[in-house]
Amino acid sequence: MSGKDIRQQFADTLLEVGRRDDKLVVMVGDISHFKLQPFSEACPGRFYNIGICEPTMISMGAGLAKAGLYPVVHTIAPFIVERSYEQIKLDFCYQKLGGNIITVGSAFDYSNLGCTHHCYVDFSLLKSLPETQIMFPASAQEFDVLFKQNYKNGKLNYFRIPKNSHGHEYDPNRIKVGQGLIIQEGRDVSVIVTGSQLKNAIQAAKILQQEDCGVEIIYMHTIKPFDQRCVRGSLEKTRKVLVVEEHSMYGGLGDEVLRTAKDIEGIKYATIAIPDDFIRGYGSYEDLCRDLGFTVEGMVKKIKQDLIGG
Amino acid sequence: MTKQNEILNKDFRRRIAKMCFEGKDGHIPSAFSIIDIVVTLYQKYLKFDAKKPQWPERDYFILSKGHGCLALYVVLARHGFITENDLNSFCRSGGILGEHPDLTKVPGVEANTGSLGHGLSMAVGLALGLRIRQFKNKIYVLVGDGECQEGTVWEAANIANNRELGNLCVVVDWNGSAAQLMPKENLDAKWKAFGWKTTVINGHVQKELDQAMRDVQFLSTGQPHVILAKTVKGYGVPLLEGHGTWHHRIPTQEEMRVIMEALA
Repeated sequence: MSGKDIRQQFADTLLEVGRRDDKLVVMVGDISHFKLQPFSEACPGRFYNIGICEPTMISMGAGLAKAGLYPVVHTIAPFIVERSYEQIKLDFCYQKLGGNIITVGSAFDYSNLGCTHHCYVDFSLLKSLPETQIMFPASAQEFDVLFKQNYKNGKLNYFRIPKNSHGHEYDPNRIKVGQGLIIQEGRDVSVIVTGSQLKNAIQAAKILQQEDCGVEIIYMHTIKPFDQRCVRGSLEKTRKVLVVEEHSMYGGLGDEVLRTAKDIEGIKYATIAIPDDFIRGYGSYEDLCRDLGFTVEGMVKKIKQDLIGG
Repeated sequence: MTKQNEILNKDFRRRIAKMCFEGKDGHIPSAFSIIDIVVTLYQKYLKFDAKKPQWPERDYFILSKGHGCLALYVVLARHGFITENDLNSFCRSGGILGEHPDLTKVPGVEANTGSLGHGLSMAVGLALGLRIRQFKNKIYVLVGDGECQEGTVWEAANIANNRELGNLCVVVDWNGSAAQLMPKENLDAKWKAFGWKTTVINGHVQKELDQAMRDVQFLSTGQPHVILAKTVKGYGVPLLEGHGTWHHRIPTQEEMRVIMEALA
């Protein structure tokens, strides 16, 4: 499963769950309908391509939940999270109706499509709403495990599916919502990372190890609830932390780490995130990663410059 | 209109005005505009059990124009969902009744509304969900004609028609709010263009309300139905009728005397 496309896993997991749970209902905003054809055929009457009307699709999801069903609403991140924010806030969260929002195209995955199709404030916006859980499963395995664990928990679950996987697999029993994963232990610097940037973080740690700098990597597939205990344990040991997130520098993983570290004396903090500006450039996802510092070299440089000197 | 037709539900109207006066908040004209519709639904056409508000076989009423909630509150109290004490605590600290209906607090309220353009979209999901579960509940949604300026109303109307949600009936409180800004409004043609069966009535005349409600077929799969109820904002009290300052105004003691006299 490690190399499997996460979006394909999304379709496969929904099919598997939908076959055994007749309360799972899927609505899409005119994307992924080919991938979800097997679900549509196996679960007649429980798949709807609603079309281009995201706010209404969110409200409909709340209505499905009110009818006792487990809704999945799926389309491109900005059109759900940003355009339909009020519907998420009022119809799902305030009314305490449970459901699942599953997006693609978060951050700058749709690099060339520009600002209309970028979404890098989703953690911040959704974190601010009570009754939400925010997951960023960056492998097929994580999506499968986290979805099955959470889809009918009565919360508003946000699953942010990235374009790329980090390519690693872990003991599925260790993958639990709200629990960080210690990928490797180290004594000198903590790297707290979310999403497929885990791959780069592991490579960066290898380079730094050759220079006798021990990097502890903590991987967060869940942004909310946030695993303060795991992060705090690492920070108390290293007192130096780099946070890596494909999200705005405001309101995301970095803020959670700072909140966790607020009373740890002498903490040094650095971040690789999206700065206080819109991404205006074009090129591939990899091009934009390079421009913003989401690379192995970028992480090594940031740690050396901002955390350990030299 | 006031002079031509008998004023229905004067007792409910008096109670609404009193709540607003004592609670020092509320939208009396919006509540007077819809009270005859809401009373009719709860008296004759909705299936419910006030002792078990979540009874799975109940019919659903979603008041999408949430600022008209005083009308809903007085009817919920009449049918035993809430108490006179609850009405007396309107907009007071510790009370359960605010200026918009809240399903997390008020038995019988089916949706949190107040931000316009949400109720019908939720109802479309509910209607679809109940049909998926093969339940036969009826779903009524009351929207305002001003609310029909919201794009989501038409997104939902389009979906309801295309998904043939015949278990759904919309009542539009057509009191002319929209025409204050958009005088070229023709709601009947618009709903027809979206594929709905339409009936235009006077929303303050019992016979017309009953005839329209009886005509809704409520098939699990079929054409959704909209009743366009022509109403008057503040209907029943000339002082309050029409558009303008009374939308969200609290009557003085002297104005209360005038209101009560008109509703005697």
